[in-house]
Amino acid sequence: MVRTTIQFLLIACCAAQASASPLTVRVVDAKGHAVRDAVVTLRPAVGAHSAPRGGSFTVSQEDMQFHPFVLVVPVGARVAFPNRDSTRHHVYSFSPAKRFELKLFAKDQSRSVLFDKPGIVALGCNIHDGMTAFVVVSDSAWAAKTGANGVVRFDDVPASAARLSVWHPYLRAKANVVERQIGPGERAASFSVALRPAPMAMDHGY
Amino acid sequence: MHCARTLSAIRPARFLAPILLACAAPAGAQGIDLFSPETLEATGTVSVAATDGEESWLDGGFGKLDTSGSDGAWRVRPLLSEGNLVWKPRFGWALSATVVGTFQGGERDEAGLSEAFLTFKPKRSGETRFSARAGLMWPPVSLEHEGADWHVRDTITPSAINSWIGEEVKPIAIEGTLARNFGGHQLSATGALFAANDTAGTLLTFRGWALHDRKTLAFNAHPLPPFEENDVGYQAPFTHPLLDVAPGFAARPGYYAKLSWQAPVPVRVELFRYDNRAEPEAVNSDVEWGWHTRFNNVGIQADLGGARVRAQAMSGRTRMGFVEEGSRWIDMRFRSAFAMVSRPVGKFEIAARVEAFDTRHRGSWWGDEYDEDGWAAVLAGKREFGPFTGVVELLHVSSDNPAREHVALPEHQAQTRLEADLRLGW
Repeated sequence: MVRTTIQFLLIACCAAQASASPLTVRVVDAKGHAVRDAVVTLRPAVGAHSAPRGGSFTVSQEDMQFHPFVLVVPVGARVAFPNRDSTRHHVYSFSPAKRFELKLFAKDQSRSVLFDKPGIVALGCNIHDGMTAFVVVSDSAWAAKTGANGVVRFDDVPASAARLSVWHPYLRAKANVVERQIGPGERAASFSVALRPAPMAMDHGY
Repeated sequence: MHCARTLSAIRPARFLAPILLACAAPAGAQGIDLFSPETLEATGTVSVAATDGEESWLDGGFGKLDTSGSDGAWRVRPLLSEGNLVWKPRFGWALSATVVGTFQGGERDEAGLSEAFLTFKPKRSGETRFSARAGLMWPPVSLEHEGADWHVRDTITPSAINSWIGEEVKPIAIEGTLARNFGGHQLSATGALFAANDTAGTLLTFRGWALHDRKTLAFNAHPLPPFEENDVGYQAPFTHPLLDVAPGFAARPGYYAKLSWQAPVPVRVELFRYDNRAEPEAVNSDVEWGWHTRFNNVGIQADLGGARVRAQAMSGRTRMGFVEEGSRWIDMRFRSAFAMVSRPVGKFEIAARVEAFDTRHRGSWWGDEYDEDGWAAVLAGKREFGPFTGVVELLHVSSDNPAREHVALPEHQAQTRLEADLRLGW
């Protein structure tokens, strides 16, 4: 009985490994140029897939900007906000996914925030209106942002139908998201998206 | 005697101790930071300028620039142009102050208080943000200036419009701003009441438009160009821009208002309205008059594929003195507009600006024989080296101003200047 069970588990494990395969997603703009900082999320149509939780991440403030501009984290992640500028920052968000305020902290000081709900969290600095960034808190096991080449690669995507979405802060679409279905055999997908120009900071001069 | 001296020394010390402790303390739990390296900054500019043409208005002439030629020939001069000490204490999470002490060199050395205002900026709780300022400050008109020291961003010399804002339009104001995001649109509305700017328009009237980065310092005066011999005595030969001529501080407050709209594309449009509501017949013992000055300004800023385009257009009117023969002594309309393009080129940022300006006099003292017309063009390059910024600028200004006949000059004058600045900031 025990031997039979072990054999079954080994077969099931091998089958699962055989059914997982890589998926490459490329995001380009209307002119065919690579789009960086687009967040690609895959949600398989069948089966429960537990996403990783927690982990430690960093969004620094340097040269009066947040770095990185877009950060993708799993639910339960703790994000540190070290200040590397010589001036104080007052980091906040009023996004429904995470409302928080890190009151004035100085150079080489850091504060951290636990992101415990999925969603898009827009960051700002109360002192410097031109500073903006986004934390994308994902409950999917397959979520990543594109690099300078506009490409995201997932190594272990289940070989089943899935819903693929692309979000970008300046994407011209409802909620800044476009989606499409992919079939069980698809190993590559591409999105052509229309982007708005980045807004200018509303500089009040003080 | 010894005891008395000791006691007198101790009492102030006991009184001052808590204040000194608060000043010396680093930012505490309440966000208070009165004196620390972070609250202080210093900036300065040294320059070399080669200027031809007429004598500067700072030297008693009608020259449009803040440097003078040498009887029409080129004059090369090193200058300690400017130094600023900025203090930005924080009194809490949302309340801070900006105090700027400025030294201005060049043709005329002076030092004084440039700005001193409180800023209230609570954390935004949603798509709406409120902020407020109160004190001595420039109204938010210029698209060319930035920073607490109000330096010109891309060139050395600001446009005629913003040169005038810098020299004559600086009141003591209380100002509130409400900003809100609507989808991808950002709207901002600013309103302010102000006092102590009753003489705005004096320099613009008697000298005409000018191009310089000279700033108004509190309580300091600007010289006025020479008057015609028969006109001496009707107006002081100087003007204090920060002045309530009518009795009583803020007894007759002025106002300014601004609307700003930014579409979901990188274009911003600003509308600004100013009215100092000064009493044109009010005059003080120095013979400085109230100048009822009002103007509208439109500003447009756009980022176009790596190039930044900025433009402003201003139209206004100023009136002073008594009504004689159906019109006030001075009744002058003034207009100016500029367009500027700047863009990075390698490690440099290049900027080019063109502008035009005029005045139209319909007063009983100064009539249309004093109308001025002019234009200017600027080409500048800027490069940053750590805490240093180098700027080189070539400027040409040409104008017809009949008031030049007061100093026996032809009304048409043209002037060119090549200037290199080294700006330092700590």
